[in-house]
Amino acid sequence: MSCPKTVYLLQEYFSDSLSAQAGAEFDKHLALCGECRAELDTLLLTRQELLSWQEQRVPHWDRGRELFKREHAAEPPATGWFTRWQWAPTAASFTMLCLLLLNTSVSVSGSGFEIAFGGSAERAEIDRSLATFEAQQLAEIESLIRRFEARQDSNNVQLLQAVMEQTQQSTAESLDRIYAYFEEQRLRDLQDMQFGYQQLADSDYATLRSLQELAQFVSYRESAR
Amino acid sequence: MSVIDEDEALIAAALAGSPHAWEKLVKRYESRVFNQGLRLMGNPSDAMDLLQEVFLGVYRNLHRFRGDAKFSSWLFRIAHNKAIDLSRRKRLLAGTPPNAEGEADPLESLSADRQQEPEISLMHSELNQRIVERLSQLPLAQRLVVELKVFQSMTFEEIADLQDISENTAKTRFYAALKKLKQTTEDEHVLS
Repeated sequence: MSCPKTVYLLQEYFSDSLSAQAGAEFDKHLALCGECRAELDTLLLTRQELLSWQEQRVPHWDRGRELFKREHAAEPPATGWFTRWQWAPTAASFTMLCLLLLNTSVSVSGSGFEIAFGGSAERAEIDRSLATFEAQQLAEIESLIRRFEARQDSNNVQLLQAVMEQTQQSTAESLDRIYAYFEEQRLRDLQDMQFGYQQLADSDYATLRSLQELAQFVSYRESAR
Repeated sequence: MSVIDEDEALIAAALAGSPHAWEKLVKRYESRVFNQGLRLMGNPSDAMDLLQEVFLGVYRNLHRFRGDAKFSSWLFRIAHNKAIDLSRRKRLLAGTPPNAEGEADPLESLSADRQQEPEISLMHSELNQRIVERLSQLPLAQRLVVELKVFQSMTFEEIADLQDISENTAKTRFYAALKKLKQTTEDEHVLS
């Protein structure tokens, strides 16, 4: 093969993108070059022989029918109430587990409700505050009772001394005085009691305020986290 | 309804679980895939293996077919890749080293196979037999280009895209393959 264009031209001949101009030049060269013409003819003949292939029938096979049926039978369409909600018990269990693990607590107040997570340290802090409050209350009540008893004793002594002095003068007059002393003592006791309870109530208000401040502090720390 | 529309309707029905649609879809293309297998693999047994692997691949990936290309193009892309895979496996099983282009070639030992496998004689016609024997003289890379260009009527651009090679490489391989086939034919004529 001596024509230098043969290889390039024949490669391009079978290309689908041969332009009209290139095709015309190709035909022009073929008309003049017997070597390229002969080479092309044999290649076309070779291709033609390949195209004489006779389609052969496919031997019997199941065409994947069994596989298709088996796999589609194994995966029924997900329909119905049960299939839609069958995950619900698992989800509920998971939610409960999360609530337990996160130590979730819900507190309801007049302005709504609040959900808190964790808080074991805060709870211990509240418990400590409550215990302190309870101890303070007990101490104050005991102190009040002791003061009340002491005052009662003192009053009774004074009352007896006064009665002893007065009974030497006039019985009727002394009875009136005794009655007046007792009445006066009763009123003073009542005033003492009122004063004591007022102190106790004031102490309660102070404690409640401190508890409220503590709760706000805990809530603030939780939201800041 | 066009062939493409029919394909898409059958695919949709098969995906919805219709075995009838699936079977109809297979029937439309099984002959082309089987005959491609005969030419590439050289015997009906391997051609059947290829056929089954191709349609198993199609079945497994049918939900991924988006309809961007023709179903036939998609299917023959799978067939092309499966043919290369099957050839490599046969090469490994036979313990034969890869050829110069690093590709497995089941037809390289066709002469020896013919003595061992009586099924090669199951080729329906002598003409087909002769074509397979001539194709067996080609390296797999060239045989694949001949298959795609001559039998599947693909353009060099499509072949280049499918095989991830340049268009010029595809043209060169095709020309070299035709030259080799021509030489084989001439040798046969001299011998006869």
